[in-house]
Amino acid sequence: MFNLIRRDVILQKRQLLLFIPFILFFIIMDSHPALTFLIASIFIPFNTYAYDEKVETNILLNSLPYTRTEIIASRYLGAIVYMVLAIGVTSLALFAFNKPFTIIDIAIGSSLFLLFAAFTFPLFHIFKPGYISTVVMISFLLLAAIGPAIVLFLAEHLTAITDFINGLSVPVLYIGGTLVIMLLYFISWGTTTVIYQRKAF
Amino acid sequence: MGNVVELKNVTKNFEEFSVKNINLQVKQGFVTGFIGENGAGKSTTIKMMMNLLKPDAGEVKLFGLDYKKHEKTIKERIGFVYDGNIFFEGLNLKDIKRIVAPAYKQWDDTLFYQYVEQFKLPLNKAIKTFSKGMQMKASLAIALSHHAELIIMDEPTAGLDPIFRRELLDLLQELMIEGNRTIFFSTHITTDLDRIADYIAFMQNGELVFNQSIHDLAENYALVKGGMDLLDRDTEKDFVHIHRSSTGFEALTDNIKEVKNTFGNTVIIERPSLEDIMYYLKGGIHHV
Repeated sequence: MFNLIRRDVILQKRQLLLFIPFILFFIIMDSHPALTFLIASIFIPFNTYAYDEKVETNILLNSLPYTRTEIIASRYLGAIVYMVLAIGVTSLALFAFNKPFTIIDIAIGSSLFLLFAAFTFPLFHIFKPGYISTVVMISFLLLAAIGPAIVLFLAEHLTAITDFINGLSVPVLYIGGTLVIMLLYFISWGTTTVIYQRKAF
Repeated sequence: MGNVVELKNVTKNFEEFSVKNINLQVKQGFVTGFIGENGAGKSTTIKMMMNLLKPDAGEVKLFGLDYKKHEKTIKERIGFVYDGNIFFEGLNLKDIKRIVAPAYKQWDDTLFYQYVEQFKLPLNKAIKTFSKGMQMKASLAIALSHHAELIIMDEPTAGLDPIFRRELLDLLQELMIEGNRTIFFSTHITTDLDRIADYIAFMQNGELVFNQSIHDLAENYALVKGGMDLLDRDTEKDFVHIHRSSTGFEALTDNIKEVKNTFGNTVIIERPSLEDIMYYLKGGIHHV
């Protein structure tokens, strides 16, 4: 399993060289630290999917002594591992450039990443290869562009929910948020495993 | 001698094609050639052996184990080579080895480098720059470096030039000297098999027509040539398929004894090549 996670680094050696300038770009452009954390986390796991949507890759992985459950588990665990590493690197970069950030930025960035992963990972196994990376990238940019506006709009108009959330104490809010995200991530993991088990290559 | 692969009543349906009721045993320690036209169901059958496809009905067992419980144990013991390149094409062989090797408990680095040297493979060039023959050799080097007991190959000789094909066949023959290895490979170039196969499994239209030793095959089938005047409704029954021309007929029989009884010395009976058998069986298994 560890080998499957490590595979991504071997596979993306060259792209990893792009990783640093990519992050620096966002830092220099003065993006919100939370967004920078999100973008950094997305880099490796979604690049991996660009490889894994190919039929040949699946034939290879499935012909090696791995089970399908392990292959999917390596995607979901790998995403967390690489997220943690990416956050580490990004924090260092932000620190080096003297840009202030808080633990809340990290929390927001990683929660958004996990949510995004939870929603898109199953899609990679539902849609035909070739299209899905594009679909996911576009939907990500769209979400990033209009997502906050939608949230604000909902916050203004659905006062019942806003009031409920405002009424929660900070620890409850954090713990609740973490639990919800974890739950969604696990549901997504389970769903993808079931889909992948049934696939033919 | 045991069976390394056992397919029992295996059926797989696709929208426009199906593989029906396959009963196939691959004998341990032999080379089995898997023949049939393009689209006969060879790749589908191989994919079911590799668990890339799950059969709709029937049982697939390798080394007497089933995939549900023993997937990893089974795959540890298989070396695979597919028709196309399945490795990440941008990577070089060294990196591919880095990805594949840790998957196997029995990976043998020394053996791998030995094959790399023997095949003259470059370690630092991207796989996509390899010729078809080199890609094939690279897959083979990887397939052979973890002491697999069973080597499964899907059309390994397709698209290779004749000299290279021969080299490959020689190599496979060499591999067989070593103890209990089993090789199962599909091809539609039947001349490959005359040289190295011990058993021939033949598929047609999604069905397994036969799985026999080369020796039995030669005993069971014969090519019969004679004048057109010998053919009539009764005598035609001895043949699987008849090819008629102005100079006479040529036909395949699976009942040599009966042919000898009916025609005696009036016909010429020859040993058919695999290609002859494939060609005539294509005309229909049932008697014309």
